[in-house]
Amino acid sequence: MAFKSRRAGGDSEDYKPCQHLLDYKANWGTQAFRVLHKCLKPGPPGRASIKREEKEVPRCATCGKAQGRLYACLTCATIGCWVPPDQLHSRLHAQSKPGHDLAVDIDRAELFCCLCNDQVYDADFDRAVIGSQTLLALAGRVNGSQNGADSGSDINKAGRSSKGGLSLKNSVANGSGSDRRDVDEGRDRKRRRKGAEYRSWVPSPLDLLAIRQGSTPLVEDCLPSGLRGLNNLGNTCFMNSVLQALLHTPPLRNYFLSDRHNRTICQQRATHLCLGCDMDTIFSAAFSGERTPYSPAQFLYSWWRHAANLAGYEQQDAHEFFISTVDGIHANSGTESPRDRNAESGRSGDVDCRCIVHRVFSGLLRSDVTCTVCGFTSTTYDPCVDISLDLEPDIRPDSKIFMDCIMGNYDGGRLSRGSTANGITGNSTLLGCLDRFTRPERLGVNEKFYCQRCQTRQESIKQMSIRKLPLVLCFHIKRFEHSSTRNTSRKVDRYVQFPFSLDMAPYISSSIVRSRHGNRLLFLESEETWASHCPSTEFELFAVVTHSGKLDSGHYVSFIRLAGQWYKCDDAWVTRVSEEVVRACQGYMLYYVLKTLSYKSSDDNEESPRGHESEGNGNHGYTWSSSGVTNGTLS
Amino acid sequence: MRRRASINRPPTPDGEEDKEAEPTLQEIINIKLIESGEKERLKELLRERLIECGWRDELKAQCRAFTRKKGRSKITVDEIVRNITPKGRAMVPDTVKAELLQRIRAFLMSDNL
Repeated sequence: MAFKSRRAGGDSEDYKPCQHLLDYKANWGTQAFRVLHKCLKPGPPGRASIKREEKEVPRCATCGKAQGRLYACLTCATIGCWVPPDQLHSRLHAQSKPGHDLAVDIDRAELFCCLCNDQVYDADFDRAVIGSQTLLALAGRVNGSQNGADSGSDINKAGRSSKGGLSLKNSVANGSGSDRRDVDEGRDRKRRRKGAEYRSWVPSPLDLLAIRQGSTPLVEDCLPSGLRGLNNLGNTCFMNSVLQALLHTPPLRNYFLSDRHNRTICQQRATHLCLGCDMDTIFSAAFSGERTPYSPAQFLYSWWRHAANLAGYEQQDAHEFFISTVDGIHANSGTESPRDRNAESGRSGDVDCRCIVHRVFSGLLRSDVTCTVCGFTSTTYDPCVDISLDLEPDIRPDSKIFMDCIMGNYDGGRLSRGSTANGITGNSTLLGCLDRFTRPERLGVNEKFYCQRCQTRQESIKQMSIRKLPLVLCFHIKRFEHSSTRNTSRKVDRYVQFPFSLDMAPYISSSIVRSRHGNRLLFLESEETWASHCPSTEFELFAVVTHSGKLDSGHYVSFIRLAGQWYKCDDAWVTRVSEEVVRACQGYMLYYVLKTLSYKSSDDNEESPRGHESEGNGNHGYTWSSSGVTNGTLS
Repeated sequence: MRRRASINRPPTPDGEEDKEAEPTLQEIINIKLIESGEKERLKELLRERLIECGWRDELKAQCRAFTRKKGRSKITVDEIVRNITPKGRAMVPDTVKAELLQRIRAFLMSDNL
C-alpha cells in the first residue's frame, strides 16, 4: 500500500527531525545525500524511485522476498522489508547495526527512520532528489524516447554494490555545501488567513420591513435587469464589449449596486478624474430599468484622460482596454496598496490592494526557475489581473506526435488531459492552453539563469503556476501574433474550445509544485496554507468577449450570461442566444467567476473605511442576488 | 530386469533451508510481474483508477482526520499505514478490483511467463 504522510499545513520550523537523522547528518555532513542522484530513476515529476536493472527484482536481504515496503539502508545499501505487523527486517537491520538507522523507500525515494517507524524529512535529501530528477528529466528530453530505456545504465552499474544492494554510500563530494533557503517563503507565511464557509443571508422580519419601506420595486419585464445596449461612439465596440462584461461581473455589480462607490459623495471627483464614479454612472444607467441604448460618453472621455496614449477614435484592443480600465479604477480609488512601498509598486493587479477591482480580479502567479545542475529553485510571485494564454502552435498530426515524444518524459500524465482532446478534434482547448501555460519549460541557452547556489549562470527549467486565484478569472487568449523577424502582426483565427464550468485545481501552485516534487519537505510549506485557505477552485463562465475580422479592423461582441440565459451584446443591440452560439464563438477574453465564496475571518479585518467608499457594514461586504451566476458574499 | 534398490528408496527429504526458500505461488507471480515490468504498468493503472473514482481523496481525508485526532507531532507514518490500510482496502471499488484481476489473469495466460 502506498501512503504518503502529508504534513497538514506545517512550516519547516515546526518540524523536528529525529535524533537518528541528526546523528547521521553530523556524521556525514551535508554531502551525505549527494550520491543519491546516481541511484534515482526518472519518473513522472514528483514520483522519484530508486533505479534498478530492467529485470531486477528488489528483495529483502534477510528473507529474500519482494513484499511489503522495501527500504534500502542509507549507510550500507542493504535492502530490508517492512511488512507490518511483525516482519520488519529493515528494522532488525537498523537495530543490529548502530548507525544504520536511516533508509530510503525504494518505490518513492523518501527518507525513513527504521527506529522511529516514521518518515523523516530533510531539506538536503529533498534537494538531492529534486536536483537529480530535474537532471534526469532533462536527459530524457534530450535523448528522446528511443534510448530512454538504457540511458544511464552504466552509471547505474557503477553505483551498485555487489550484494543485491544499492550503493548509497557516501563517496562523492562535490559542489558547495552552503544552503540557502528561498527568500520568498517566509513572507508568504505571514499572510495566512482562515476562511469561513459561506452561509446565505436570511433576512429577519426587521430586515424585510426595512427593505420594503426603503425600496421601490423595479418594473417587471421579461429581461433580467441590467441588460442595456451601449451605443457605439465611433469604433468603441472594444469598450462596449468589455463594459458589458464588467457590468455583469457579479462582485463588481454588487459593489456598485450596493452604493459602495457613490459618485455624489466621492471626494476624489472634485479634484481628480475618477473612473470609479464613471463606472457608478454606467451601473446606475444600466440597472435603471431603461432599455434604450445608453451612450457611455462620459466614461469614454474619462478613460481617454486616464490613458492619453489610447485616446482617439481608432480601434483599440479590448484586452488593453480592460487592463487600463482596471488600472484606472484602481488608481482613482484612493486606496493604497500595502505593497506600494515596495519596488513592485505600480504593478497592476496587486493582491493586497483593497480597491474593488483588485479584490475582484487580482491573482498571484508563481514562477519557479529550477537550476538543472544543483536543483536550487528560485521562486518569484507576480500579481496579475488576467491570465494571457498562448495558443498552441499549429497542430499538424506528425509534429504533434513528435512533441508528445519529446515532452512525454517530462510532463507525464499531465499532458494527456489537454492534448488528447486536441489530437482527436484538431482544436485547441482552454485546458490545453492552461496545460501549456503551467508546463515546465526549458529556458534557452542564451537566457541562462543565474543560480544563487552555483553562483553562476546555469541551464534551468521554468514553470508557472497560479498561487492565488482571483474571484473573477479573466483569460485573454493571445490571438494577435507578432513576428519579430518579419516585423508583421497577424491575427490567429482559431477556434478554442472552452468549458462553461472550469476547475482550476490542477493549475494552482500547490498542485503544480506537488506534482513536480511529490511530498518533499522543501517546497510544501507556503503552498499548503493557500490550498487550505481556498478550498474552492470551481469557476463558472459568465462572459465572453469575441473578436471578428482582421487585425486592424474588426468588431467586438460580448456574450453575457444572466439567470442561466445567454445574451449577445453587440453595441446597442442585445439579443438572447442559445448556448450553442456561445460555445461556437471564437473567444478572445473569457470571464469566469468562482462558484462558491467564503468569508474571510473577521479577525483579519483591518480594513478601514476609505475616503469615498461608504462602508456601511464594515465586516462582510455585500451579498449578491441570485439573478444568475453565483450566490455568495465577498468579504 | 532387476531394479536397483536405490530407485525404490524414497527421496531424501529437503534440508530445512531448502524448504524455506521454496517460494509460494503468490511470490512467483509477484516476481514475474516485477521482472516483466507489468507490475509498474498495473500500478500506474491502479493509480489512475483510484484517483478517478475518488478513492484517493477519500483516503486522504481519512488520513487527515486520523492525524488530527492523534495529534500531528505524536503520529508516525507506520501508525497511519496500520490504521488506514484496512479501511483503504475495503474502500476499493469492486469494478477496480475486477479490472486488475482481469489484467493479472491475462498476463498469466500470455506468453510472458
